[in-house]
Amino acid sequence: MRHSKKLLIMKRNQLKLIFVTFLAVAGLVSCTNLEIEETDSIITEGFQGLADPSSTVDELYNRLTGQYGNQSNWFALQEVTTDAAIIPTRGTDWGDNGEWRNLHNHAWNSEHPQINTIWNDFNANQLIASQVLDSRSNPTAQNVGDASFVRGLSMWLTLDNFGQIPFRDVTLPSSALPEVLSGQAALDFILADVDAAISNLSSLSAGQGADATIRASKEAAKYLKAKILLNKHVYLGGTPDSGDMSQVMSLVDDIAGQGYALQAGYYDLFRDTADNETIWSLRAGTGNRIYNGLHYNSTALGGGGWNGFSTLAEYYDLFEGDAEFNRLDTDLVTALDGQEERRGGVPPGGTPFTGRPGTEDLDGFENGSNVGDGFLINQQYALDGTPLQDRAGAPLTFKRDFVDGTGASSFINNDETTGIRFMKYNPRYDGGFTSHEIVFRYADAHLMKAEALWRSGGDPTSLVNDLRAIRGATPIGSVTEQDLIDERGRELNAETWRRNDLIRFGQFTRDWLFKEAAAIGNPDKQLFPIPAAQLLANPALIQNPGY
Amino acid sequence: MSFGLVQAQDVSGNVSDANGPLPGASVLVKGTTNGTQSDFDGNYTLNDVASEATLVFSYIGYSTVEVPVNGQSTINIVLEEDAEALEEVVIIGYGTTTVKDATGAVTAVSADDFNAGVIASPEQLIQGKTAGVNIQQSSGEPGAGISINIRGSSSVRANNNPLFVVDGIPLSGENTTPGGATGLGGSSVRNPLNFLNPNDIESISILKDASATAIYGSRGSNGVVIITTKSGRSRTAGNWDFASTLSISTPANEYDLLSPSEFLAGVSQFGGDPSAVDFGANTNWQDFITRTSASQSQNLSYSNNYGDGNVRATFGYTSQYGVVEKTDLERITGRLNIQHRFLDDKLLVGVQSSISRVNDETAPLAGGAGFRGDVLGAAYSANPTWPLDPDFEPGGSLIHPQNFLVNTQNRSITDRILVNGSAEYSFTPELKGKINVGYDLAEGQNTSVLGGNINGLTGIQNQGFGVYNTLERESYLLEGTLNYNKDIGDDRLDVLVGYSFQDFRTKGRNAAGRGFGTADLDQMGRDLRSTVNAAGNSVGGRFQQYFYGTNHTTLQVNRLLPTVVAGESAGNNFVRLVQGITADTFDNTDELQSFFARVNYNLNDKYLFTGTVRADGSSRFGPDSQYGYFPSGAIAWKLSEEDFVGDNVSTLKLRVSAGLTGNQDGLGYGNFVARQRFGGLGIQNDTYEVNQNGLAIVATDVPDLKWEETLNFNVGFDFGFNLDRLSGSIDVYRSETNDQLLRLPPAAPAVDPFQFGNFDAAILNQGIEFAIAYDFIQAENSTFSASFNIAYNENEVQDFGGAINTGAVNGQGLSGAFAQRLESGRSIFSYYMAIFEGFDSSGFPIYQDVDGNGTGDPIGDQTFIGEDALPDVTAGLSLNYNINNWDVSAYLNGQFGFSVYNNTANGLFTSGSITNARNVTPDVLTSGEGAGASADVSTRFLEKGDFVRLQNATIGYNVPLSGDGFLTALRFSVTGQNLFLITDYSGLDPEITVATGDLGSGVPSRGIDWSGFPNPRTVTFGLNASF
Repeated sequence: MRHSKKLLIMKRNQLKLIFVTFLAVAGLVSCTNLEIEETDSIITEGFQGLADPSSTVDELYNRLTGQYGNQSNWFALQEVTTDAAIIPTRGTDWGDNGEWRNLHNHAWNSEHPQINTIWNDFNANQLIASQVLDSRSNPTAQNVGDASFVRGLSMWLTLDNFGQIPFRDVTLPSSALPEVLSGQAALDFILADVDAAISNLSSLSAGQGADATIRASKEAAKYLKAKILLNKHVYLGGTPDSGDMSQVMSLVDDIAGQGYALQAGYYDLFRDTADNETIWSLRAGTGNRIYNGLHYNSTALGGGGWNGFSTLAEYYDLFEGDAEFNRLDTDLVTALDGQEERRGGVPPGGTPFTGRPGTEDLDGFENGSNVGDGFLINQQYALDGTPLQDRAGAPLTFKRDFVDGTGASSFINNDETTGIRFMKYNPRYDGGFTSHEIVFRYADAHLMKAEALWRSGGDPTSLVNDLRAIRGATPIGSVTEQDLIDERGRELNAETWRRNDLIRFGQFTRDWLFKEAAAIGNPDKQLFPIPAAQLLANPALIQNPGY
Repeated sequence: MSFGLVQAQDVSGNVSDANGPLPGASVLVKGTTNGTQSDFDGNYTLNDVASEATLVFSYIGYSTVEVPVNGQSTINIVLEEDAEALEEVVIIGYGTTTVKDATGAVTAVSADDFNAGVIASPEQLIQGKTAGVNIQQSSGEPGAGISINIRGSSSVRANNNPLFVVDGIPLSGENTTPGGATGLGGSSVRNPLNFLNPNDIESISILKDASATAIYGSRGSNGVVIITTKSGRSRTAGNWDFASTLSISTPANEYDLLSPSEFLAGVSQFGGDPSAVDFGANTNWQDFITRTSASQSQNLSYSNNYGDGNVRATFGYTSQYGVVEKTDLERITGRLNIQHRFLDDKLLVGVQSSISRVNDETAPLAGGAGFRGDVLGAAYSANPTWPLDPDFEPGGSLIHPQNFLVNTQNRSITDRILVNGSAEYSFTPELKGKINVGYDLAEGQNTSVLGGNINGLTGIQNQGFGVYNTLERESYLLEGTLNYNKDIGDDRLDVLVGYSFQDFRTKGRNAAGRGFGTADLDQMGRDLRSTVNAAGNSVGGRFQQYFYGTNHTTLQVNRLLPTVVAGESAGNNFVRLVQGITADTFDNTDELQSFFARVNYNLNDKYLFTGTVRADGSSRFGPDSQYGYFPSGAIAWKLSEEDFVGDNVSTLKLRVSAGLTGNQDGLGYGNFVARQRFGGLGIQNDTYEVNQNGLAIVATDVPDLKWEETLNFNVGFDFGFNLDRLSGSIDVYRSETNDQLLRLPPAAPAVDPFQFGNFDAAILNQGIEFAIAYDFIQAENSTFSASFNIAYNENEVQDFGGAINTGAVNGQGLSGAFAQRLESGRSIFSYYMAIFEGFDSSGFPIYQDVDGNGTGDPIGDQTFIGEDALPDVTAGLSLNYNINNWDVSAYLNGQFGFSVYNNTANGLFTSGSITNARNVTPDVLTSGEGAGASADVSTRFLEKGDFVRLQNATIGYNVPLSGDGFLTALRFSVTGQNLFLITDYSGLDPEITVATGDLGSGVPSRGIDWSGFPNPRTVTFGLNASF
C-alpha cells in the first residue's frame, strides 16, 4: 500500500512535468507558421508589379542579345530553313539528333527543340515586357518605349513564325490560361505596341556607334513598323494594301531623315565601328557567326571553327563571279575570280601585322586575317600562305556539293570539307569575339522601300541599282520580282531575314537540295508547329495545319 | 498455487558479461511483474521471491537466461552476447521493434554483416545486402554520388534517393559540397553521406513499405534509411579499438585502344593521310590518365560503459586516391557519443555528435562533356602519336589530355557538424517522454580553375577562368515524443505521439573570375578567393550580387532587399587580382512542421496491429496546400504461435500493410510564389567586360503546388525453421505514385520554360522480394552460413498525356541527342531510338523504316524498342565460413533485365572518330562501317547490362589471445573488392550511370555510359586491435 501511495504522488508530479514539457516544446515552436521568408528574392503573391522596371528593361535587352547572338534557335530557324544555310551531318559530326537536317529539309515536328526554344523565348519576352508595361510597375516613358518595342517585336516574330500568339494578361492570376491572338487582332495589338514605341522612344541620328544603337530608338521602331506593314498581307491573305506600302516608304524616308544611308565598304559595316547604316544592334558576341562555319584548322583563334554551317551552291551562285573559285590577290583586296564585293574572297594568306586597332600579332600576321570575308570555297590557306589541311590530313578545300565518300549526294554521310562557308563577321578583330551584331540595317530599309514601291506598282530599278552601285555590282537593266528577292539574298545574307523574305515572295516552299518531297509546294511549312507540350498546357492553342 | 504456502525470500547477485559487470540488465521473476534492473556494478536485489520461482535475466543483444531459484539467495550470472538477438532489434522511425514483432517491411543490417574493404560512405556497407534495395555509386570516383532505389523508382524527378535519418535527425539529402561548374568538367554531385565515418555505424535499417515509412510522412515515399551510430554501451572498463586499412586499387577494366601503328593504318584505311597525323610518339593515354593508387584509413575509438552511462569517442582519418589522376578524398572525422542516466535511471540523456572535414579533388570529369569528351574521353580518343608534353598543341579543337589535366584544378573542402541531443524521461514504467534536439551545419567551398596554358579552349586559353563557390547548409531539429507502453493481460499496447519541427537553411555564393595574371593553378585559386572575398567584404548591407569588369572603375553591387538598387558603385577598396569577377549570393530556408502518432497493439502475441498517421506542413507549399496527412495501417499474424503449427517452425508470420506517403524531394525553395531576383552575370571573353543585368522573375506562383503521393500495399511472409536455422521472408508490393511533381512547360508565355507543378501521371511499381538464409554448419569451432536475396520489380508510367525526352547522349555530333523517353504505358528509363540494321555496301548505316515512309531515318524512325535501364531482377548472395580463428566471407551481386547505352562507343569509337584522327577500339576497323558514316543514336550502341559481380571477399584471422596482455583482441584481414565481373557488356562496367543531362526536362536518366569513371579493383589489408 505504501508503495502505491508513493506511485500516486509521483504520478501527480509527473503529470505536471509532462504538462510543463509540452508547454516548453510548444513555446519553442510557436513561431512556426511555415511562412516563406523573403531572404534572397522579392516575393509577391502573384504578380504585383516589378520592383525596378528599368532593370527589367536591361534584362529584356540581355535576353534579345542572347536570342539573336546564338547560331541555334533564331538564326537557325530563319536561315537554315532556307536555301542560304545548310548543316550537313559530317560523319559523326553535326548529327545532333537530326535537328539541323530537319530544319533544312523541312521535316521538323512539334518536338523540335529549336522551334520550342523560340516559342518559349519570344513569348517570355512578351510576358516580361507586359510586366514592365503594367501600371503597378510604374514604368517611365523610356521604359514604355523600350518595353513596347520589345513586346511588339517579339509578338510579331511569334505571329510570323507560328501564326498564333498566346497573350498573357499580367493582371490575371498566373494560373489563368492565356488567350490566343491571331490574324487582324494580333496585328492590331502589335501595331499599337509599335506605335507606342515610336511615340515614347527618342530619336537617334545615324553614325553614333554601337553604344548608342544597342537600345531601340524611334528609328528602330519605325523600321519595325515598316517591316510589319510590308509583311501584313502574308498574315491576312490577299494582296498588299497600297496605303500600307506608302506608309512603308514614308517610314523609310523618316529614317533616312535622321542621316541613315547606304554606306560603301560592305564588310567594314560588320566591324564594331560607327557607320551610317546600323539602326539597331546588340552586344552579342560574333563568335557564333564566325566559328559555326569555319573548319577546325581554319584559324587558331577561338580554338578553331566548328565546321558546321555552309550554304547551298545555288545560293552562292546568286552572286557575280566564278563558280569554283572566289580568291583574292596577294594584296588581299583585288578579286581574282570576277566576284562582286559582297561575295568577299579567300585570301592567299594573312595580312602582315601593323598594330592596327583590334588586331593581334601572330607570327608577324594579323591573327585570323587568313580566313577572309564572305564566301569561302576551294583551298584555304594558313597565315603564312601554306595550304591548310583537314584533320585527316587531306587538303582543306571547301566544295560546292554535299556528297559521301562514294561521291553520291548525301545529307548525312559528308566529310569535313563539303559545302561553301560564309563569313559575315571577321575573326581578325578583337580576338574574333566582337560584341557587336547588327539587327536592323538601313540597306534593308532601302530594299523595303524598293519592294514597297514595286508592290504598289512602281519601278524599283533605280533604288536597287543605287545599292548595287555602292556594292560594286553590275547594274540591273529592269528589276523584276526575282531580282528583288535575289538582291535581298545578296545584301542581307545571314542577317536572319531569309525565311521571312522567301515566304513573302512565295518561294519558301520551292524545291531545294535535300528538301523532303512532302514539303515541296506545301504551304503548311510556312508556319512552324505549336510545341506539343504547349497544346497540353493551353487548350486554346490549336495545332497549325499539317502537323 | 496459493501464495500463503510459498516461502518468500530476497535474492541478490551480480550480472556480468565477458567484459565485466553489466548495468541495466533486466531481472524478472518469471510469470510475475516483480522485476528490477542491475545497477552500475551489475548488482541487483529482488524482494519477495518464491523459492521455487525462476529468474529471467535479459539484456538487449544478449541471450536470455532462466535460472531456477531453488532457495538460493545469491545468483550470479554471466550473460553471453547473442549475435542473432542483436540483429533482431530493428530501429524504426521514432523507436525500435524486433524482427518478430515488426508489422512492416523493414530490414536491418548490423555491423557484423557490413561489407568490408574500401568503404568511403555508409551506404556501401549494405550494398546488395537487402532484397529490393538497389544501391549504385554513380561511378568509381572517390566520394561520388549515390543512387539508392528502394523498390524501383517512384518519382520522375532527379532524386529517387530515400530519406536518410542519422541518429534521429532526418538529413536534407542535398549536396553539401558546392559544385565547381566551369563548364568544362567540374565536380560531380558528391555523396551526401560522405561526412559519416563508416566505422562509427552500428546498424542501418531500411524501411520499405508504407506502414514503416508513413511515420515520415511527406518524405517517406522513396523509403527511409535509418543509420544508428555506435555507442559505448557494450564495453565496460574503458576499451580502445584501433582499426587500420591499407588499400591498393587499380582500374578493374580498360579499353583496348589502337597502338600508334594500328592507328596510322586505321587512318589510312578510312582515306586519311597517316603522315599528316603522325606526331612520332608512342603514348598510351589511358595509362597516362589512370593509375594504381594506395589509400589508407585509420580509426581509433574509446568506449566505456561506466554503469550510469556510456561514452564512445572516435577519431577517423581516411585518405582515398582514385584510379584516375587528380581524384582523391581525404576525410577527418571525430565523433563523441555519450549516454547518461540520471534521477534513478529515470532520465536518460544522450548526445551524439560528429565533426568532419572532407577535402576532395576531382579531375575535369563531366557527364555533360561535348565532342572533345572530358579528360577520360579525351584520353581514350587522343592520338597515340601525340607526345607526352604539357605544352603540346594538337589543333583541330582537340584536347591534349596532359595539357588539359595539368592546367585544371578542382578542389573542395566541406566541414560538417552534426549534433543530436536527447533527453528521455520515464514518468512511469509505462510512460516515457523524449525531447530530441538536432543541429546540422555543413559548410562547403569549391575552387575550380582552368589555367591560361590550356590549349584549344576558347575563352580560357591565354585568359584563365575560375569559379569559387561556397555553400552553407544549416538545419535545426526539435522533436518531442511521448511513448505509452502497457501490458493488458496477454496483450500489449504501445502508443507514440510526437511533434517535430525542422528547418533547412541554404545559403552561399557562386563567384566566377576571368582574366588571371598567372597560370599557376594554386595561385589562381588564391587570387580568385582573395579578390572575391575582399570585394565582398568591402560591400556593406544586404546585397544579391557584386561584380566588376574592365568596363568598371569601381565594384558594382545589385541590392534586392530592403529596396532594389541596380549597379550601385561600392568603391574600390580591394585589390583586383583578376580582370573581372561576378558573385551571386543566395540564402533561403525551408521549414517542416509535423505531428505524428503510432499505435501498436499486440493481441495474445499472435496478432499485431499497427496504425500510424502523420500530418506534415511544409513551407515549400502555399498556405492552401501546406499540410498533408499520411496514414498507414498494418496487421501481422504470428502463425508460429498457433497450436496448429509444429514446434520445428520457429517463425511464421503473415504481414499485410497499406499506407500513404509523400515526396517533396528535389522541389526546393519557393516554387509556389512569384519571386524576383537579378538575372545571371557573365564575363566576356577577351575583353573581360561585365554587362549590368536586370531584375528578372525567377519563379511564377503556383498556389496549388503540393507533394506527390504514393499509395503502397505490401503483403509479406516471414518464416523460420529449426530455431531459424533456415529463415527468410517473401514480400509482394504494389505502389502507385500520383500527383507527380515535375518541371514541365507551363502555358506560354511564361518566364521560365519549365515550372514545377503536380501532373496527372502515375508511376506504378510492383514487385516481389525474397530472402533466405541457412546455417549449413553450426559446429563448435566452425560455422558456415549463406544468405541470398532476390527481387523483381516492374515499373510503369501511367495516365501521362505528354512525352518527355531525356537521357542525353553526348559526343561529337550528338548535341540534342537522347536515348530515353518518358511516356505512358512504358517503364521510366525506357529506351527510345532508331533500330540499327547494319551497314550497307558502302559502310553507311541502315535503320529500320518504322514509320513506313520508305526510308529508314535515324530521327524520323525513332521508336520504343522495349528495353529500359531499370534492372528487373537484382540479387545478392553472401557466404560466411568460420573455422577456429579464421573466417572467410564472400559477397556476390547481380542485376538482370536491363540495358546500357554505350555512349562512349557512340561518341568516340566510330569511323567518324578515326577519320578525324582520334583513337578508337580495334573493332571500328573491322565493323564494316565506312569512312564518313554518320553515327546517330540507335540500337547499334545499346547493350544488355546483365552482370554478376564478386563484389567483396574477405579472409580474416583473429589472433587467439589470453586476454592477460595489453591486447584484448587482434584481427588481420584481407579484402578484395570487385574481384570479377561477368557480363557481356562491351564497355568498362555495366553498373555505371553517368549524368549526361536531361535536355532541360528535369526527368532523370539511368544506364547511360559516357566515359564513366572506371570502377577500381581493390585489395585491402586490415588490422583491428582492441586494448
